[in-house]
Amino acid sequence: MNKLISAIAAAAALAASVPALAEVVVVVNPKAAESAMTKDQVAQFFLGKSSAMTPVDQSEDSPQRAEFYKKVTDKDASQAKALWAKLVFTGKATMPKEVGNSAAVKAAVAANPKAIGYMDKASVDASVKVVYTAP
Amino acid sequence: MNNKQIIAAVLALPLALSSAFAQEAQSPTVKISGFGTGALTWTNTNDAEFGRPNQASGAKKSPRTGVDSNLGLQADVGVNSWLSFTGQGLVRRDAEDDFGAELMLAFAKARINDEISVRVGRTGLPAFMISDYRNVGYAHTFLRPPGEMYSQVPFDKLDGIDATWQRSFGDTTVTGQLAYGRSEGRLSGGVLKAEGKDVLALNVVAEHGPFTARFGRVDAKVSVKHSAGLTTLVGGLRNAGAALRLPQLTAMADQLDPNEKDASFTSLGLAMDWNNIVAQSEFAKRKTDTYVNDTTSWYVMGGYRYKKFLPYVIHGKLSIDGYPANVVPAGVPALAALRAGAASLPYTGIGQGEQSTTSLGVRWDFHSSAALKVQFDRVKPGVGSGLLLNAQPGFQRDVTVGAVAVDFVF
Repeated sequence: MNKLISAIAAAAALAASVPALAEVVVVVNPKAAESAMTKDQVAQFFLGKSSAMTPVDQSEDSPQRAEFYKKVTDKDASQAKALWAKLVFTGKATMPKEVGNSAAVKAAVAANPKAIGYMDKASVDASVKVVYTAP
Repeated sequence: MNNKQIIAAVLALPLALSSAFAQEAQSPTVKISGFGTGALTWTNTNDAEFGRPNQASGAKKSPRTGVDSNLGLQADVGVNSWLSFTGQGLVRRDAEDDFGAELMLAFAKARINDEISVRVGRTGLPAFMISDYRNVGYAHTFLRPPGEMYSQVPFDKLDGIDATWQRSFGDTTVTGQLAYGRSEGRLSGGVLKAEGKDVLALNVVAEHGPFTARFGRVDAKVSVKHSAGLTTLVGGLRNAGAALRLPQLTAMADQLDPNEKDASFTSLGLAMDWNNIVAQSEFAKRKTDTYVNDTTSWYVMGGYRYKKFLPYVIHGKLSIDGYPANVVPAGVPALAALRAGAASLPYTGIGQGEQSTTSLGVRWDFHSSAALKVQFDRVKPGVGSGLLLNAQPGFQRDVTVGAVAVDFVF
């Protein structure tokens, strides 16, 4: 019985920790005019459809990157890369700047009023403003 | 300065700039990126060759790397928040028989504001939906753009100026591009040359979520130079017109002579990537005031993405809408050669003729920056050998083409 309870507790803890790990939020500089964005508005900056804001990407091995692209742009990493290849090799845009982790995204967004990035919700503080939370 | 020297200079430029500015606090950003395809292509015949538009020779039964392989290298130099430079060199086998280097992009770009930018220099000519990145295999579903349509404009580069305007209306993004300049395309063998003057191109793209719609129009004054066969035919018609007092032959010679003749290419495109269903289609009309055929070309591609695999089918068709009337009188022995020459013109040369192709293929994204593609095409030439190259006399049959390619970006 104890074993069962601890197994249930472990499963519950795991279940609770998975969404917490996976919760990705989209952040902008506190000086930016936007207070909230739709999924499509966010996606356009990360798929090169608008250059009004400067996207900040996480590195390819970051779990938040895969999560973000799947949930916000409805693309997997390869599809997003193929889209960017079109823009880059026609000289229309350059690939978003890549940084290592959520802390680096926060620093980059805090330093640039036009930047937009995505990061782990748990790392958010007053230096950035959350405009979208991935479901 | 030849192309290779220009490419070397362009590729060296960012390095020189980056070291020149290394001491400054606000150093320009330099990005080097590249793309490429390594491929083998083969067919089931030795009596004709299969190549991409503009290639001088193609694949026969023994597999060749030259048809679908290429390598591109690009440098982007961001000078400040509004000014940047881009240079791109491409190595591929085109009009000449060997792999050669070309300068595909070399422009300065000024960002006027968040919506408008202006580019000056060499850019891609936006004649097709995927025209300015048609060499970037990784960016496409299919292994190569359907030749039925992509053979219809011999220019892929534009030397001039363009303005791009991009704006969002709700969740729809509209991009408009207007370009003006001149173009030059080397054709088969590298001797023949197509020149476009006063090239004016409009390209409008609307994107709404997974759906893309596009309209394109290119107008130009086109010349085809150094074609021995054509020169002989036009000269023969002029001589016969003068000698036999047949003004219709002189008029025909004037029409066939491809010297700064008006030409236009109008195209519509649709693309979709929705719930793992991938579709893409283009439809185009070409009109010219010279011997080059007026044509209709189109293709439809459909595919379904299953995890990392994307199987697809394509059907493409090129048909002739019209060409100048052959007014050389029949039954006159002295004029028989001229009459036969004029009659063969709609089916002779780059992008002339009729053809349809059905293709089956699969793209496998086996790596985060590379994709493997396998594609089989069944090519049905219309009159004569269609778009196939170097066909044996009397060749007239369907050809199966196979290809395996790895596309990558870095």
